[in-house]
Amino acid sequence: MIDIDGLSRRYGGAISALDDVTLHVGRGEFVFLTGPSGAGKSTLLRILIGQEVPTSGRVVVDGKDLSALKPADIQRYRRTVGFVFQDFKLVPRKTVFENVMFALRILGVPDVQQRRKTFQVLKWVGLQHRATAYPIELSGGEQQRVAIARALVNEPVLVLADEPTGNLDPDLAIEIMDLFRDMNAGGTTVLVATHDRELIRRVGRRTVALDHGRIARPA
Amino acid sequence: MIGGLTYFVDEGWTSFWRGRGASILSLLTIAIAVFVLGLLLIVGGHARRTIDQWSRSAELSVYLADGATPDERSAVERALRAEPAVIGIDVVSKAQALARFRRDFPDLAPATAQAPDNPFPASFEVRLGASSASGAALDRLAARLATMPGVADVRFDRRWLDRLVSLGEFVRWVGFGLTAILVLAAALTVTNVVRLSMHARRDEIEIMTLVGAPMAFIRGPFVCEGMIQGGLGAVLALGALYAGMALAAPHLSAMAAGLFDLGAIRFLSWTAMAGLVAGAMAVGCLGGLVAAWRTARPR
Repeated sequence: MIDIDGLSRRYGGAISALDDVTLHVGRGEFVFLTGPSGAGKSTLLRILIGQEVPTSGRVVVDGKDLSALKPADIQRYRRTVGFVFQDFKLVPRKTVFENVMFALRILGVPDVQQRRKTFQVLKWVGLQHRATAYPIELSGGEQQRVAIARALVNEPVLVLADEPTGNLDPDLAIEIMDLFRDMNAGGTTVLVATHDRELIRRVGRRTVALDHGRIARPA
Repeated sequence: MIGGLTYFVDEGWTSFWRGRGASILSLLTIAIAVFVLGLLLIVGGHARRTIDQWSRSAELSVYLADGATPDERSAVERALRAEPAVIGIDVVSKAQALARFRRDFPDLAPATAQAPDNPFPASFEVRLGASSASGAALDRLAARLATMPGVADVRFDRRWLDRLVSLGEFVRWVGFGLTAILVLAAALTVTNVVRLSMHARRDEIEIMTLVGAPMAFIRGPFVCEGMIQGGLGAVLALGALYAGMALAAPHLSAMAAGLFDLGAIRFLSWTAMAGLVAGAMAVGCLGGLVAAWRTARPR
């Protein structure tokens, strides 16, 4: 699913965020990307969502070479991948239902299907009763579940998450990880960046550690 | 497709309403540009009709010397009839000219009675086709007639009409230049107001970009916002023009009645109004497009 070969990302020629990273994530795998702050986890995820371009090396996701994508192709690629962010990135003026449904709307899915699938995925994350609430009315855990629902509603083959439990207490973090495990059980490839070693230990999946932009411990 | 358009319009209106303080600024700028252009079209239309009317009645008057012989008169008449631009000739004798003066200026009539001789010359009053000949050809005709034996003077109305037309053209181009500057200012204002609006929603734009929304989907509402500003600005300007005309028309008609026949003062046609609204929306669209293109970018 993800093939990274000799990936480097340098800023201004001197500061190296990623240095010769090579990584393979198979279809249907659940992988943790870990390491201390500044290790390069977020940079790697930004490259995987097309926000940044590698200085050198090759990144192929689901058969697509990301460095060769044009701007319009990047948007098309992003519609096939789900993203979950630490700060949730929900639109404050839209309700929970609208935030999730938006991901289907941009795909041009018919209205009736948009509503049906949105309701289904909200039910799956246990938030169908908060469909008309606005993000500001939700707890952190609920907001992250909305973000997960949005990432999943268009049935992506790959879900990327950048510190998805970073703003949550340990119990909520486990709840959120259970959702990721459930989606992975359904066949979705999951790559989660986190520095929470306890969480990684409890979930117990393959872990790739980054340190100073290099793979420190491939598993 | 229709769902997408509805989304653009809904979101565009929401964005317009949320930033209505700044939106009013661009709306007013567009309204001023449309008002000036509309006024120009109304005034220009009336001026053109009036000049056409005057042109149709424009005359070439050939005054004959008192001692002109019948042969000389015939030669002048033949020269006039040979000219294609001439569509009619009235022969006015000295007695008819005197009678006309006494009829048109009754207060001055007694003065003519005291004169030893009839001071008014006989003349040919020549009606010219509105567009049958160029001004230069008619100028040459007038100059040739003035040198013919038996001709005392030649008066040609169209010369000053041509000057009036030239002046009108100049004023029209100045007006269009002013409108072009105002339209440019309006487009720039719309661009900046839409950019402000996009800045206020930058987080939302970032989210839409990250979830893979097509750039047209992200930019569309802001282009619509510009079009809404343009359309509403034009409607406001047309309303102000109509109200202004309704108030001023009676006074203008009264003022003009003594000078020339202005006829009924007419407002812009439906086609012209639709054109102005469409044009203003196009300017708004352009402003929105520039702002959206420069602000919302992939990555």
